[in-house]
Amino acid sequence: MDIIDQALARNQRALSEHEAKKLLSAYGIPVTREIPAVSRESAVDAAGQLGYPVVLKGAGADLMHKTESGAVFVNIEDEAGLAGAYDTVAERLGGAFEGVLVQEMVSGKRELVLGLHREPQFGPCVMLGLGGVLTEVINDTVFRVAPFDEAEARDMAAGLRSRDILKAFRGEAAADMDTLVHCLCTLGRIGLEHDSIAEIDINPMIITPDGGLRAVDALVVLKEGKDDAEN
Amino acid sequence: MMRKIEDSPLYGIANPKSIAMFGASNKYTAMGTSILTSILQMGYEGPIYPVHPSETTVLGHTAYKSVLDLPETPDLAIMVLPTRIVPDVMEDCGKKGIKYAIVVSGGFKEIGKDGAVLEDRLKQTADKYGIRFLGPNCIGAVNTHLKFNASFLPCEHPPGFIGMASQSGSFITQMFAYLGRYGLGFSTGFSVGNEANIDIVDCMEYLAQCPNTKVISLYIESIRRGREFIDTARKIAPHKPIVAYYAGGTEAGRRAGLSHTGALAGEERVYDGVFRQSGVIRAHSIEELFDFCWCLGTCALPKGNRVIVQTHSGGPGAVAADACARNGLELPALSESTRQNLSEYLPQTASMNNPVDLTFTKNNMDFFVEIPRILKAEQNADALLMYLMLPRRNITMFIESTGLSTEEAQAETEKFIAEQSRQLAEEMLASEKPWVGFSYYSGESPFIRGLYDAGAPVLPGPNRAARALGAMVAYKALLEKLNMSEE
Repeated sequence: MDIIDQALARNQRALSEHEAKKLLSAYGIPVTREIPAVSRESAVDAAGQLGYPVVLKGAGADLMHKTESGAVFVNIEDEAGLAGAYDTVAERLGGAFEGVLVQEMVSGKRELVLGLHREPQFGPCVMLGLGGVLTEVINDTVFRVAPFDEAEARDMAAGLRSRDILKAFRGEAAADMDTLVHCLCTLGRIGLEHDSIAEIDINPMIITPDGGLRAVDALVVLKEGKDDAEN
Repeated sequence: MMRKIEDSPLYGIANPKSIAMFGASNKYTAMGTSILTSILQMGYEGPIYPVHPSETTVLGHTAYKSVLDLPETPDLAIMVLPTRIVPDVMEDCGKKGIKYAIVVSGGFKEIGKDGAVLEDRLKQTADKYGIRFLGPNCIGAVNTHLKFNASFLPCEHPPGFIGMASQSGSFITQMFAYLGRYGLGFSTGFSVGNEANIDIVDCMEYLAQCPNTKVISLYIESIRRGREFIDTARKIAPHKPIVAYYAGGTEAGRRAGLSHTGALAGEERVYDGVFRQSGVIRAHSIEELFDFCWCLGTCALPKGNRVIVQTHSGGPGAVAADACARNGLELPALSESTRQNLSEYLPQTASMNNPVDLTFTKNNMDFFVEIPRILKAEQNADALLMYLMLPRRNITMFIESTGLSTEEAQAETEKFIAEQSRQLAEEMLASEKPWVGFSYYSGESPFIRGLYDAGAPVLPGPNRAARALGAMVAYKALLEKLNMSEE
């Protein structure tokens, strides 16, 4: 895939968030609508196209954990807020700043984490878990070795301790299981088709009030060593 | 997957018609001697050819200086030799035309680089001659139905139905007595050692085809051929249950990764997913591994998770109900027709809730046969869990009270108990719904001993019984998932 090849050619350790989402989107995984921008003006334009409220995130090749760097502003209501956020992020990131990503603001009470990693004996493994900032603390995760079928993906969801959040919850609709199952099977497929991808995180994958799914943040880590670029 | 058991590389290892034995002598401290003693003690019927550089006979069998001197080509070579000479002996076996071997010797890959070099040489030599071998660094194999015990502890249990492949030899040999205590036993057991040539996946395939094996048990520390394990197990599980105990499931196995996923992927979690995806039932202790095998090998599968608990003592019934609840089992209320059918058997003190607490019954056979028959017919239930005890002294006292002498009463007691356990075991084993007993008594009680000997599952305590019933329900769910995938 071009996105991966180009990133490998540039010696990137990971795809940028925007590249990662383009890759996932090409596989039919639902992601946030978003537009990259490299100036305050183009960021304002992007927000206008997406419609407020929006999210603004700092972008940079070496930026894997944006929240911890103070480079994420959510729920921006208007142009003034956007311009202010742009300037603050640029200042905080300093030399690492390469632009911003303006995204639609997706809200929902429920957050999942989906991921991919590799095991020496099993190959690519797909993870489903309870997402958000408490992911590591709650540690409610299930794994399957790729490839696996839809029945298996449904069994993954049934294996979560907190599986009930996939049902109707506090006025929000039950999660769209067909899409979730598709995302899980597809992550496995990505792992099988792209040796140069070492790990993937989709965290959070928000369940919207209507039960839809949207990847709000995504990380695609590439394998070290540029010799294994894809053909 | 292979079609015929004879196609398995393990067929020649588990069913040898003749054996060449390397490393046995007349010195009783040698491990090879210990293994040959086990083979002889169990009564293996084929020819045995000890190979020894200086002895002329070994444990009463004519010994040969070299395998090349043997009067025929044996099916199997068993090697309990110093590490450095094993590859050369394998070479000689190849020249003689031997096709199967068990390499008990250690000192290979498990000790580091030098050992790994020697193991590679061993593998290459075997490949050159098309020899398939178990080990190295294993304790051997046992096939009780052939009276073949090539391990270094005596196997005294009768031929059983549990097939086992183990990455620790201890869970073959040191389980002989444990299983025997409950009237259980291995059909065939393989200690796989370093899995240089034959691994746990090969063992699963063999045991799947083995007619004496009703359930496959695995002790796993690490799966080497991951994808093959999953694909093979998924094919076997719908026909024969596989139960695995995985050791090493500690959070220490976590790897550092750049992603959350990498950080969250502890080996424990990954293996849990692998087992579910493979259709393998996971046990969380060695006792549980064999508890599950016991029930899966003797009971029908439950259609659902609704259990009736039958007891004549309040406490054990309450504890069983609690154990069921913690293991995902439900205790349904009895339907009106069941209550009506029960009423003629129950004393005033009895409870017709679930647990059904009979307190006492007018006739013992009511408790063991008539009442369970009614409970098994209950449409709202899928399984029966029964508290079992029959104290010898009280029966003797009762019989004495009818005017018999103490000696006569004791003899009558033995006869009575034997008859009770025989009839109950027959009912339990023929039941169309799983019927599991539990007791705080064990083999010291002639009643419980009789049930064990007849093959009925009577688990030590209600928690283990509920866990095993829960495992059967989980297996049923795994089968439904696998069937869904096939459609």
